[in-house]
Amino acid sequence: MLHRYPRLHHGLNRLGWYFLTFVVAITINFFLPRMGPSSPVDILMSKASSTMDSAAARNKEETYLKEFGLAKLADDGSILRDQEGKPLKASLLSQFFNYLLMSARGDLGSSIIQHPKKVSEIIATAIPWTLALQVPTVMIGWIVGNLLGALAAYKRGVFDRVFYPLSLLISAIPPFCFGIILIYIFGITLRWFPAMGGYDDGLMPTLSWNFVVSASYYYFLPFMSIFLIVLGGQAIGMRSMCIYELGTDYVKYAKQLGIKESKILMYMFRNAMLPQLTGLALALGTMVGGALLTEMIFSYPGIGMAMLTAIQSSDYPVIQGCTLLITVCVLVANFSVDILIGFLDPRIKVQQTSGKGA
Amino acid sequence: MLISLLKNPAFILGMGLFIGTLALAIFPPLFMNLDTINRVGPPFQPPSSQFFLGTDQMGLDMFAILVAGLKSSLYAGFLAGIIATTLGTLIGVYGGYKGGLVDDLLTSATNIFLVIPNLIVLILLSASIKDGRSLTLISVIIGCTTWTWTARAVRAQSASLRSRDHVNLARINGFGTFTIVMKHILPYLLSYVFMVFILQTASGILAEASISMLGLGPYDTVSLGKILYESKKSEALIDGAWWAFVPAMVLITVMVFALYVINTSMESVFNPRLRK
Amino acid sequence: MTEPILRVNNLSLYYLTRFNEKVKAVDGVSFDLNQGQILGIAGESGCGKSTLVNGCMGLTIPPLFHGEGEVAIDGENLVGMTIEENRFKILGRKICMIPQGALNSLNPTRRIKDLAMDMMVSHGENADKKEIAERLRERFFKIGLQADKVLEAFPVELPAGTKQRVVIGISTLLNPRVVIADEPTSALDVSTQKAVIKLLFDLMEAEIIGSMIFITHELPLLRHVASHIAIMYAGQFVEVGTTQQVVFESCHPYTKALMGAMLSAEVGQRHRKPVYLEGAPPNLKNEIQGCRFAERCPSARPNCKSIFPPLRPVAGRQVRCAYA
Repeated sequence: MLHRYPRLHHGLNRLGWYFLTFVVAITINFFLPRMGPSSPVDILMSKASSTMDSAAARNKEETYLKEFGLAKLADDGSILRDQEGKPLKASLLSQFFNYLLMSARGDLGSSIIQHPKKVSEIIATAIPWTLALQVPTVMIGWIVGNLLGALAAYKRGVFDRVFYPLSLLISAIPPFCFGIILIYIFGITLRWFPAMGGYDDGLMPTLSWNFVVSASYYYFLPFMSIFLIVLGGQAIGMRSMCIYELGTDYVKYAKQLGIKESKILMYMFRNAMLPQLTGLALALGTMVGGALLTEMIFSYPGIGMAMLTAIQSSDYPVIQGCTLLITVCVLVANFSVDILIGFLDPRIKVQQTSGKGA
Repeated sequence: MLISLLKNPAFILGMGLFIGTLALAIFPPLFMNLDTINRVGPPFQPPSSQFFLGTDQMGLDMFAILVAGLKSSLYAGFLAGIIATTLGTLIGVYGGYKGGLVDDLLTSATNIFLVIPNLIVLILLSASIKDGRSLTLISVIIGCTTWTWTARAVRAQSASLRSRDHVNLARINGFGTFTIVMKHILPYLLSYVFMVFILQTASGILAEASISMLGLGPYDTVSLGKILYESKKSEALIDGAWWAFVPAMVLITVMVFALYVINTSMESVFNPRLRK
Repeated sequence: MTEPILRVNNLSLYYLTRFNEKVKAVDGVSFDLNQGQILGIAGESGCGKSTLVNGCMGLTIPPLFHGEGEVAIDGENLVGMTIEENRFKILGRKICMIPQGALNSLNPTRRIKDLAMDMMVSHGENADKKEIAERLRERFFKIGLQADKVLEAFPVELPAGTKQRVVIGISTLLNPRVVIADEPTSALDVSTQKAVIKLLFDLMEAEIIGSMIFITHELPLLRHVASHIAIMYAGQFVEVGTTQQVVFESCHPYTKALMGAMLSAEVGQRHRKPVYLEGAPPNLKNEIQGCRFAERCPSARPNCKSIFPPLRPVAGRQVRCAYA
């Protein structure tokens, strides 16, 4: 029945693929950190044990073991122990299913370092910052980069000869270095903008006028840093796409028909932009990675900073929570682009409807 | 081909820059006494005639550390580049040539890993290996997480070669897959694979720097990323001790830029249409 | 005598290479095209056919430059017109092109109706949209297309033959005086080829188009289609005459060689051995002294390489050979 609605069929097909990707991602996310030797309970216990007697320690350990789903549980919910009284470890597989169940409920566990703070709480306070910084920046960078790239391809000449190597140079600078340069010049030397943080120390993150002003002031440098990187990379891609499009038969024919130059430019821009959109989806992972590093450089109170703090203190649940969240965001963005492009590009639409789009 | 490459000013520029950085990593230790272990003066000394690039937060000779770091970064870049290119090329060529189910499976796997941000995988892996995170291990990990787009690009090329006459002829003559791939497909992709290798090396250098910047760098040596991490940690930035981080940034940028320029110039010389 | 539709007089065009060398791709070409005539231009690839076409349209865009000579359509000289003037007054309105490889000539992301609309609006046809749309429908219907379906479609959704028709339809929307068809059929299968040729003839009969220039290297096709034929070699016309004259009573050695190289499906051809020309046309970067064909000419004489032959009348047609 589905093949009567090729679009829907295609959409579901893609959804299936992204779900599979998600499963792989969450599996990696679970197993990789567990390859290391230390368990969160040991870390917590080593922090706590010095000040506790053995009974209290035993109680504490039980709560931790349950909390992190590491122990085998009896039917009544108590922890099973071997002859020596050591708790029996739950198998990795049952830990995994437990993890899946908890994640599905939105429970990403508790932080080890800031125990008993929930990972989801930490993420919830960080994510608005990250979204506010990255979504507009990547979008604006993408648009401006594409416009400039197209312009360089169309004008060639001096503009192109300056612009192209410059973009190449920008895209060669590691994302975090850009942040460092900007901080050093505008934050430290010139003191035009604050070098670190997301808002003035004395303020509370509320929707007050003072806070918004302060936050926008702090916003500028990280914004520029991510914006320029995205712009450089996109402009290079767009430039070569446009040069390719300019040589195509349909552009030649449109010229021969006497169609207006501005119209032809629009054709070219649109057709070059569609592959760029796919390119954006593919580059999103790398871009987000770079942007996270930028956050860290600026000590911006977003996910990147939360992750850096977690990495430095081996706070695995938080690292895992952040990586899972980022992966999911990237997957969702990719999926949206995938569907969007199906609507925008008739060539892909035909591929989809003839069933070759898998 | 080679001659037109040598006539290309962009190629010469890229090569010159890259060979320059290579020389900086190789020659100074041969002629100078570079001490990366012992303090030579007070911390954060600005550049002077005695120490070209001043001292770091511990009072070590910055120039010595920089040269050692450059060497590690190049090593990491090349190793990661070789691993990623080899993996990606093998998977891509094999899938592209074989077609059918094998291809579908490999393509799906590639696409899945392509979407998962590899910095994330890198972070998870490096974070889980707490002890013994050596430079080599980090480079191997980088190589194993960045092969995906090589595989994708090479697959497309290889699939287009599959139906070429000379490949068909070899198949009709009963040559095995291995022979055909090695003799009739790979040689045609060689310049392409080499360009991919250059880009993979560049991204290897960047990835090492990123991961070190997170504090997940190698324990057994300095690297450019680690220098940056240390300078950030010791707040060299706030103190205005530019010599603690600017040289390392410049080196990373110059290396990556040089590799990008080499790649684009080669692209314009070798079959520019190949990319489509 | 009435004024010819298209008059090309001593036209020379050259390319500037990256090293600032002039390559004279078209050298002193002259011809007149009258109402109802179909001129076929034939020659090997690289002989300057496509460059000549660009010259006729006034599309001298760098690296192509105008050297000397005139091109006039309906008495209006194209040389010296600004690009915008040429675009608005000439391209698509007076002279239009049916490109080689029509399959990739339509913008893949634009509906046929929008592309056609762009073409009309670009020429100042500013009547209201509905009226233009109605005219489009009518025209597409006339050339045998299912107008409603085709106009709404994207190029990828159409089969090759239909796309070729669409290209012809769009090219002739403004009833151009001259249609230049550059290998319009080479990418199509035989039956579709025929349909396309028939369509072009129908359009001429209906006086939608005034005259045609047919560019091809398929001589058998020209024989059936063209009223006049010009043979081009190394940027110059070497023989110009009626189809009868050029095909059946060829004078120039190059024309003869081309006819010999032509394989035809007619009876009694089996015993005729196909002839082929050895060597390659001269490099136009270098200044050539004598006859450009001398190097390959089977009947060349010693002084052919030193004396440049002008076009001269031989048996009712123009021939560029001193000894024909």
